[in-house]
Amino acid sequence: MSCHIAHEHAAAASRPLTLRSRPMRIALVGQPNVGKSVVFGRLTGRYVTVSNYPGTTVAITQGRALVGAEVCDVIDTPGVNALEGTVSEDERITRDVLETDRADLVVQIADARNLRRALMLTGQIATFRKPTILALNMVDEAFARGIVVDARALEAELGIPVVEMVAVEGRGLAELRDALVRAAVPQLPPAAHASAAARAEWAHALTTRVRHVSTLSLARVQEALAWATRRPLTGLPILAVVLYALYLFVGVFGAQTLVKLLEDGVFGRGVNPASTWLFSFVPFPLVRDFFVGEYGLITMGVTYSIAIVLPVVATFFLMFGFLEDSGYIPRLAIFCDRIFRTMGLNGKAVLPMVLGLGCDTMATMTTRILGTPKERLIAILLLALGIPCSAQLATILGILGGISFAALATLFGVVIGQMILVGWLAARVLKGERSEFILELPPIRWPRVGNLLTKTRLRVWWYLGEAVPLFLIGTVLLFVLDRVGALVWLSAAGRPIVTGLLGLPPATAQILVMGFLRRDYGAAGLFQLAHSGQLTGVQAVVALTVMTLFVPCVANFLMMVRERGLRTGLAIIGVITPIAIFTGAGLNYVLRALGVQF
Amino acid sequence: MSSVHLAFSSSAGVALSSLAEGAQGVIVEVRQVRGAHPVSEASVERLLSLGVTPGASVTLLQRFPGIVFLCDQTELAVERGVADAVLVRLRENPS
Ligand SMILES: Nc1nc2c(ncn2[C@@H]2O[C@H](COP(=O)(O)OP(=O)(O)O)[C@@H](O)[C@H]2O)c(=O)[nH]1
Repeated sequence: MSCHIAHEHAAAASRPLTLRSRPMRIALVGQPNVGKSVVFGRLTGRYVTVSNYPGTTVAITQGRALVGAEVCDVIDTPGVNALEGTVSEDERITRDVLETDRADLVVQIADARNLRRALMLTGQIATFRKPTILALNMVDEAFARGIVVDARALEAELGIPVVEMVAVEGRGLAELRDALVRAAVPQLPPAAHASAAARAEWAHALTTRVRHVSTLSLARVQEALAWATRRPLTGLPILAVVLYALYLFVGVFGAQTLVKLLEDGVFGRGVNPASTWLFSFVPFPLVRDFFVGEYGLITMGVTYSIAIVLPVVATFFLMFGFLEDSGYIPRLAIFCDRIFRTMGLNGKAVLPMVLGLGCDTMATMTTRILGTPKERLIAILLLALGIPCSAQLATILGILGGISFAALATLFGVVIGQMILVGWLAARVLKGERSEFILELPPIRWPRVGNLLTKTRLRVWWYLGEAVPLFLIGTVLLFVLDRVGALVWLSAAGRPIVTGLLGLPPATAQILVMGFLRRDYGAAGLFQLAHSGQLTGVQAVVALTVMTLFVPCVANFLMMVRERGLRTGLAIIGVITPIAIFTGAGLNYVLRALGVQF
Repeated sequence: MSSVHLAFSSSAGVALSSLAEGAQGVIVEVRQVRGAHPVSEASVERLLSLGVTPGASVTLLQRFPGIVFLCDQTELAVERGVADAVLVRLRENPS
């Protein structure tokens, strides 16, 4: 039972025998959310992010699997619903894998509850004429709902091996490995290839022949929760509770309790005094300042990135993963669809928008799940413009929460208003299409703790890998700018705008410059300014509004360039900067004219 | 403005968007819609690939703020316009 045998057998069935010196390549293909990542992890022993939101397995992941004595390459392709017609970016990737020699053998992973849908895809996979196996996953959940599929009958009808499994428990994986040698090119009637409609008919007829459904027995609690989260009358209060829990966990526990512990405790009493003491033995003041001075790599860079930002980001990702895996976030999309449609988006955009509250850079990457280039561009623009990341959010809540509710409401009112306005304009000015809102709602389930922790760990790692180096680079830049006097010069140049137009203390100019080097960095600088009592209520609101609307951090900018090109990235900055300044100026003028005190 | 060929359709279904909450039926056709709220070919393809195909049984779960329906075992949320594209033969006295 080795891959080689499978490979030769497979090759013989599909095309003239070719000898290959490289390991056989197995592609896992399937609809989103069918358990593909779990199967991949089980086969290769390497873990990938597991997610409950349709469409989040974006990139291709590869791993090595040992089948018998043979090493095989396993490719985990992005989840796809279709391979023909108008296809998304993800679907194009998967199709490319199937078309080229990046896959010698295809394992289609299917949700046993949704056989008809799976067969629609099987019909399309068959057109690539590659040896295939159908793995019916989640037979446990199917069974709980009274669904039984006759796998043997299905094997006979499709002409390929059909394996039943429960991937999360590892059941059926041995059978899958054994079945690899029997993989065969599907033998389907012409109807399965003719047209989408003919294929649908074929899939439907075949499903009725091999599937037996006894009295529907959905798990009661799950069903009730699924109902409650999507009805407005219960769904909106639930949303309020979720947001409050998010605030308690991230805003209070993460941004206050943990930050205090790390900043005052670990860094304030441990790391910083210790390193200052250590560096006091260094005879060169320049080196000393570089590490432990005002803009020191340790006293500023490391302290901010680890003590202030990390706790917020980590608690946010944990909570986000929980909401994602429980199937809650797609339900939010129902409520957001209408408002997003005025901005040229649809309800689906709720995922990147909520993720942006954790990290805009990461959210910019996930805009790939949106249907059209126009939607992706609008979402990227709005993320950069209005969605405060977790570190900024912590600063906003920390500063304005201490002033008054009216101050908070003003800031969010202005920012949301700007987003709607800019989105509305962008939807009309930009060329291209909007896609219609069609979203699958995964069942509400209790997330598996293991998945949740792995996922959070991977995201925090990602954040540390991307963010901490940038923090440090930012600190070095600041240090250099400070040394050569450029910081003073920049602040002086920005002073007329900052003090005149925005009515802010001169020191804010420098903070806004820092804000570009790292968006949340500037936020932290503002935090210190406010805590030392240098800002009035109105000034705090204006400064934070400008900061929220302002040009995104360097990391976010680089991600925009990576996703949409340098020209678009520069254009977005060119649009956002004046919006931020003029909105701040307008707000400053209005608040002062009205004599608002907060 | 649903569509012209609805009237001439031999399958004689009603649009999913016009169903009352709780109504059940069987899909007879999924088709493109032109007019004020067009439904593109891409959306029709996406619906088909999600299992919204002729022969599937549907239950309308919710109409507001968006349309939510159960198609076999899949729960789907769509905007109203998209639900115009799905024609359904109503099942008599859903009990
Ligand atoms: N009950 C059950 N859940 C499963 C099974 N396989 C996967 N899951 C869950 O289904 C969800 C989606 O799995 P994932 O691997 O992320 O799907 P992918 O999008 O296809 O990669 C996760 O929450 C898994 O824990 C299974 O056999 N039974």
